[in-house]
Amino acid sequence: MFDLLKLACNSATRAGCQFADARYLSIRKQRVVSRDHALSSCSDGDDRGFGVRVLYQGAWGFASSPTYTADEIEKVVARAMRIARASAMALREDGVKWAPEPALTLDFKSTCRQDPFAVALEDKADLLIAANEVMLKNKSIKRAQGFLSFKRVQRWYVNTEGSELHSDVTSSESAIWAIAVGNDDFQERDWKAPASNQGFECYRKQEFLDQAERVAAEAEEKLSARLSPEGDFDIITDSENLSLTIHESVGHATELDRVMGYEVSMAGSSFVTRDKQGDFRYGSDQVTLMADNTLENGLATQGFDDDGVPGQRWEIVRDGIFQTYSSGREFAHYIGEERSRGSCRADHWSSIPIVRIPNLFLMPGKTPLSPEELMADVKHGLYFEGMDSFSIDQWRLNFQFGGNAVWEIKNGKKAGMLKAALYQSRTPTFWNACDATCDENYWQPHGVTNCGKGDPMQIAQMTHGAAPTRFRKIRICRGRDS
Amino acid sequence: MNRQQSQDLIAAILEIPHEGELQVLLNGVERLGTRFNDCAISQNVLKQQATLTLSARLEQKKTSISINALDDQELIKRSVEQVFATCRHMPDDEEVMPALGDVLPSLEYAFNAESDTIEIETVGAWAAQACSAGAAAGIDLAGLLAHAKMFTAYGDSAGGFAHERYHRSDYHVTATGTDGSGWAEHQGVSIAQGDVMAATGRAIDKCAGAQDPTVFEPRPVTVILEPQAVGDLMAMAFWYGFDQRARDEGRSPFSDFDATLGRLSFYSDPAEATFPTVAFSSDGQALAKSVWLDEGKLQQLFTNRYWANKNGLAVKPAPNNLVLSGDGTSLEELIRSTEDGILVTRFWYIRSTDARTLGFTGMTRDGTYRIENGEVTYPVVDMRWNESVLRVLDNVVASGKPVATGEFMAMAMPALKVEEFHFSSLSS
Repeated sequence: MFDLLKLACNSATRAGCQFADARYLSIRKQRVVSRDHALSSCSDGDDRGFGVRVLYQGAWGFASSPTYTADEIEKVVARAMRIARASAMALREDGVKWAPEPALTLDFKSTCRQDPFAVALEDKADLLIAANEVMLKNKSIKRAQGFLSFKRVQRWYVNTEGSELHSDVTSSESAIWAIAVGNDDFQERDWKAPASNQGFECYRKQEFLDQAERVAAEAEEKLSARLSPEGDFDIITDSENLSLTIHESVGHATELDRVMGYEVSMAGSSFVTRDKQGDFRYGSDQVTLMADNTLENGLATQGFDDDGVPGQRWEIVRDGIFQTYSSGREFAHYIGEERSRGSCRADHWSSIPIVRIPNLFLMPGKTPLSPEELMADVKHGLYFEGMDSFSIDQWRLNFQFGGNAVWEIKNGKKAGMLKAALYQSRTPTFWNACDATCDENYWQPHGVTNCGKGDPMQIAQMTHGAAPTRFRKIRICRGRDS
Repeated sequence: MNRQQSQDLIAAILEIPHEGELQVLLNGVERLGTRFNDCAISQNVLKQQATLTLSARLEQKKTSISINALDDQELIKRSVEQVFATCRHMPDDEEVMPALGDVLPSLEYAFNAESDTIEIETVGAWAAQACSAGAAAGIDLAGLLAHAKMFTAYGDSAGGFAHERYHRSDYHVTATGTDGSGWAEHQGVSIAQGDVMAATGRAIDKCAGAQDPTVFEPRPVTVILEPQAVGDLMAMAFWYGFDQRARDEGRSPFSDFDATLGRLSFYSDPAEATFPTVAFSSDGQALAKSVWLDEGKLQQLFTNRYWANKNGLAVKPAPNNLVLSGDGTSLEELIRSTEDGILVTRFWYIRSTDARTLGFTGMTRDGTYRIENGEVTYPVVDMRWNESVLRVLDNVVASGKPVATGEFMAMAMPALKVEEFHFSSLSS
């Protein structure tokens, strides 16, 4: 497989390129979706092709093709060169500055104990439909749904520096949800089996059945929940809820390409400007946010990124102080770093790599603390569980998040479910309001598989994580009028 | 791929021996995309892709498979065998419907012959000219200039066939000054140098007027929403709320709803001149004009074939575009008639906050201005809003002429003047 990719790199070198790389991807997918007592769809996908990226006189060119032959390789390189010349019509001063990287040979394979593509469709149907049937036993539930989604990406990468890299990554994702109707309302509750770079071994039928019963009961409970109060309250977020807040308010905010204006026209820029590096207080001293593209089973753990840089682990925030960004080879020089953090990924063989959020998580508390102990110190507050409405401005400052289920806390204990609760804050205000996070026994990972960025949009996946965490005096508003 | 080529390929696939019903969907795209920031090209991509989706039906069982190697006959044959093999293991689903078998004409409302001449160098040169205009104004420009030539074809073993070629252009540009930004776009099925430079000029002008914004304390106030903001909101509202089955099953803001929503009409029409689209769906159904709100009165919402058959309703497939009528008032007149308000260029990051009331949240972005006594007086700091679309449509007091908008879905939307729009907090 490497030979034709080397042919592309050799051809680009002969054409005078400073740098070139070539990637071949074989992507296999399957998505099985259930609706009430049936499967509503089962779709498979088999997608293969290669892309060639050339850096010619300081300008980028990229072209791709599904036809993997020597003739086509030459045509694609020529097309990429033509595009690079067109790019040079408006060239950045001094062109692209490319961080060096030693030649690397690597073969990475994710853990997959049970190949999801080898599992019979009947078993997948049984898992999903059995969960739906449990949910539908609850008379308030008028729609029960679920899905299983699997992806295997085999990737071969070669560049003009001599790197030869291969990865084979299988990832799995599943969720079930129920919609309850009644009390002049309808409400949805879900459960997500954590998405990860693993196979079908993640899924156990009994867990689906247990969760289905809980999901249905809580969907029904939401129908008669009181409307959320408004004002400033202490809040506790569970690990899934905080994972999304980490993603939006830290992950995207610390992508170096955004900071440098490369995403201004679409996703926006960032308030975390370069002058903040090393001394900006992002959060309280309880807050250490770790990036780790070597995290076991993490969705961004792929051995190496699409710039040919191996996965790394680094601190983005340490004890509340901002340390550094996620970067790719094109961007490292902007902050005086000699090496990329290896966080540049493309979502397809026909897409170019862009800086993506790594696996990123809030480190657990260092002293023993259970969720019950965390809640015991809240007189009147809200407990947010799961992901719901989420919105953040283009600087990653003003945000508003909901929860898939929200409970009122009174005198240190849950006191009934609330409806339409949202927390609204500004990123540094929020993280500086963090006064405690539970210890490592309560830390959980949560995969994000639909992170959109780029223009045209690319979809990436990564893992976040946290233990239940408390924030003091956060503004609560609601998404429904009283 | 033209109609004959698509027909030949699909006919060859349908001849591969199979037991039940086979549906074939073929999509092809050649997309040029030039992205720039800081007045320099940062990304230049040519995407050429084709996708072949094969759907097998065996009575009440149905599955699909997608591949992208159209010239690999062996792979296609194996894929046909595989999709039927998988189909045999599917449980029955009463909602599976047989193929229609309709042969449809190539209406090609969204095909623009002049657009076929746009090449890599053309797009690069236009982007470079836009960058030069930004540099000359001393303003950072960032944007995307993309143009796609596409085709879609459908065939089935019941004799159905449809094919259309179409185009899609997308230019959006953000101009950023020292303390404020402006934005403009050109959307549609064609683009020319003049469109690019006109949008660039609008973004630069917006930016010039957006510097040093002042805090406007968030409160309910009259807003004038420009077409992108209206389109972003209406697209979200449509996909969250305009499903007939959800309405009938009590899972919709329109369950038990019999009031009117203002006086505008909301519809879909592939022949809409402002932003036309392909006139058939991915399962070979012809798309005609579907009215969702007729002068504010709710009509039958989108309804799939299963639900329509079961309930004796007309089939109304999910659409390819959205159009909101307007009364044609100019933006200048909308502003002139406003004593106390906010002018919004663009919305960002709209998300549902309450499905029951069709409530959403979002931010203003890239050009938000104060209106006092009929004039734009100064830029204001961006704000978050929380609002129900039901209330927005009810509170429209004047509107403009629909223009093409929508990066992710073709839309024709007017500017709207809306009373009592709920801003809730400040952005930066």
